[in-house]
Amino acid sequence: MRQPPSERIAVDAIKAWRLAACLWSVIPILVTIALFVLAYLFDFSYWFGAIFIAISLIEIIISVIMIPSLRWKRWRYQVFDQEIYIQHGILIVSRTLVPMIRVQHVDTKQGPILKKYGLASLTISTAATTHEIPALLNEEASALRDQISELARVEQDDV
Amino acid sequence: MSSPKRLHPAAMIFTVITSIKQLVYALIPIIILFSNDGFFNYVILGIIGIAILLIGHSILSWLRYTYIVEGDQLRIEQGVIIRTNRTISKNRIQSIDLTQGIIHRLFGLTKVQIETAGSDRSVDAALSAVTFEEGQYLHNELKHKNETSAVGEDSGEKPGLATKAISNKRLLIAGSTSGSFGVILSLVALAFSELESFIPETVYTSTTRWLSSQAMEFLIVVAFVLFILLWGLGILGIVIKYGKFTITRYENELFITRGLLEKKQMTIPIKRIQAVSIKETLIRQPLGFATLSVEIAGGEQENKKVTETLLFPLLKKSDVPAFLSEILPEYQNMPDSYSQVPKRGLIYYLLRTTIIPILALIGVAIALPEWIILPIIVVLVSIALGIAQYRTASYHLTESQLTLRLRLLSKETVMLKTKRIQAVEKSQHILHRKQDLANMKFSVLNNFGGKHYLVNELALADSDKIVDWYSYRKKEF
Repeated sequence: MRQPPSERIAVDAIKAWRLAACLWSVIPILVTIALFVLAYLFDFSYWFGAIFIAISLIEIIISVIMIPSLRWKRWRYQVFDQEIYIQHGILIVSRTLVPMIRVQHVDTKQGPILKKYGLASLTISTAATTHEIPALLNEEASALRDQISELARVEQDDV
Repeated sequence: MSSPKRLHPAAMIFTVITSIKQLVYALIPIIILFSNDGFFNYVILGIIGIAILLIGHSILSWLRYTYIVEGDQLRIEQGVIIRTNRTISKNRIQSIDLTQGIIHRLFGLTKVQIETAGSDRSVDAALSAVTFEEGQYLHNELKHKNETSAVGEDSGEKPGLATKAISNKRLLIAGSTSGSFGVILSLVALAFSELESFIPETVYTSTTRWLSSQAMEFLIVVAFVLFILLWGLGILGIVIKYGKFTITRYENELFITRGLLEKKQMTIPIKRIQAVSIKETLIRQPLGFATLSVEIAGGEQENKKVTETLLFPLLKKSDVPAFLSEILPEYQNMPDSYSQVPKRGLIYYLLRTTIIPILALIGVAIALPEWIILPIIVVLVSIALGIAQYRTASYHLTESQLTLRLRLLSKETVMLKTKRIQAVEKSQHILHRKQDLANMKFSVLNNFGGKHYLVNELALADSDKIVDWYSYRKKEF
């Protein structure tokens, strides 16, 4: 665990995360509009709305522009014959080691946003934990899933 | 083999009891609401109606419930309206527990709980009442095929390798240091707050007036007596629960019997043990006592909070290695020395425990300066706790075993085997990276799908050493 894993996830992950973040930022926008409407109807200060605009702008800049690319930079994985090595996290960097023989099952998943960019996420479950590689090219994800499930099919002593 | 069998008719009693338990919370408010309004007769009628329904349902479900052991499988058919037909294959069964409650013991019956792996409780089977011989028969019949060498206590075909029983003196110590006092106190307080509304106002006020007119000494004596009473109740609870606690090692499994009123028999296959933990609570640690428990996959579940299964309620810390070498030789390597967390990690431990108390202190200092002494005490206690956690956090590594020492409040020593650890995670934030520290997380399986042991602020070199030990590639990377 001295060196980070070698493989990066798909570059389009940034776009997909940005899109998702944009969709989420509808909520602060709606709240802002509601604040202005309320201020107009009930005749209280527009300052609340203004402050909220500033806060949601900062929030949108951070979550839409900064976080996806930082997250992508940090996200790495590597699949060995005996184990899977994953690194992620922006402020707190986590590196996880999952032995192949502990892998119970692997899934690929694709929501509407990932589908738009031809991506899929890969979920690796052991008996006690689940680990997700969030965005891989579709074919890559399927290939990796098959590869892991093949490698994981070693004789399991128990559990 | 044979025709399908029914449970003992007493099973109907248990069905009724469980249904009443489920209904009681929903019904009591309705009953209270309506009995004031002259609807009393209807309430009685309603209760009678429900009672008839319940009894009818329990008779029908008893009639419907059949089980049969066929070859490699246990097959259970049940259900009044929706009929389910469940087949459990022998080699999927994790453990078979026999439990005898008070009613069971009146009739010479036992409850048979059959546990399978995984967190899905609904696939497990429980035969709520069969005769004790039938229970023993099922226990022996359904056992994993290649474990036929180890058989239950009463069959006596092969003697256990080692047996340990708890002495009455130890049991009393266990009870008096259990800390269940707090639990009982809160239960009493809860019961009182529920009852309060039923006590007439006049009685209440006259009692408080009488109490406040008494001398201080008298009140202290009353409080003291109450304290002793609750403490005694706590001891009694432990004695009833863990009385006659016996653990026997067979070749491939551990066999535990316990309980004075409700008798429990439990089998733990050695293969299912995921981790062994030695716990010393704050009260027991200075006295040199510890509790031994194991994490098992798909084990018995007493209440939602306790996940580990007790191996022994109380033993001297110094006797633990001897106990393990007899009962559980797989885990007998108790290390003498541990590698500790480096000094530069202390500040994070202190931050974690004191941050909330310090915020509270600031809040109180601003709002209620006359009460400042209380949060100061809390802050001091949390500093002590932080230091204690820091001093406890340590690890020891051998070829096949990782031993961790951790503390939340109680000190816990956990023994983990390489092949029982499901995943290892190392995480660092920016300051950690500058200071060469790392947090480690070790995940093992238990009956809720995962238990995670955290060791914070290990030196980076140590954490890399552990990862190398764990890594199946056995090379530096």
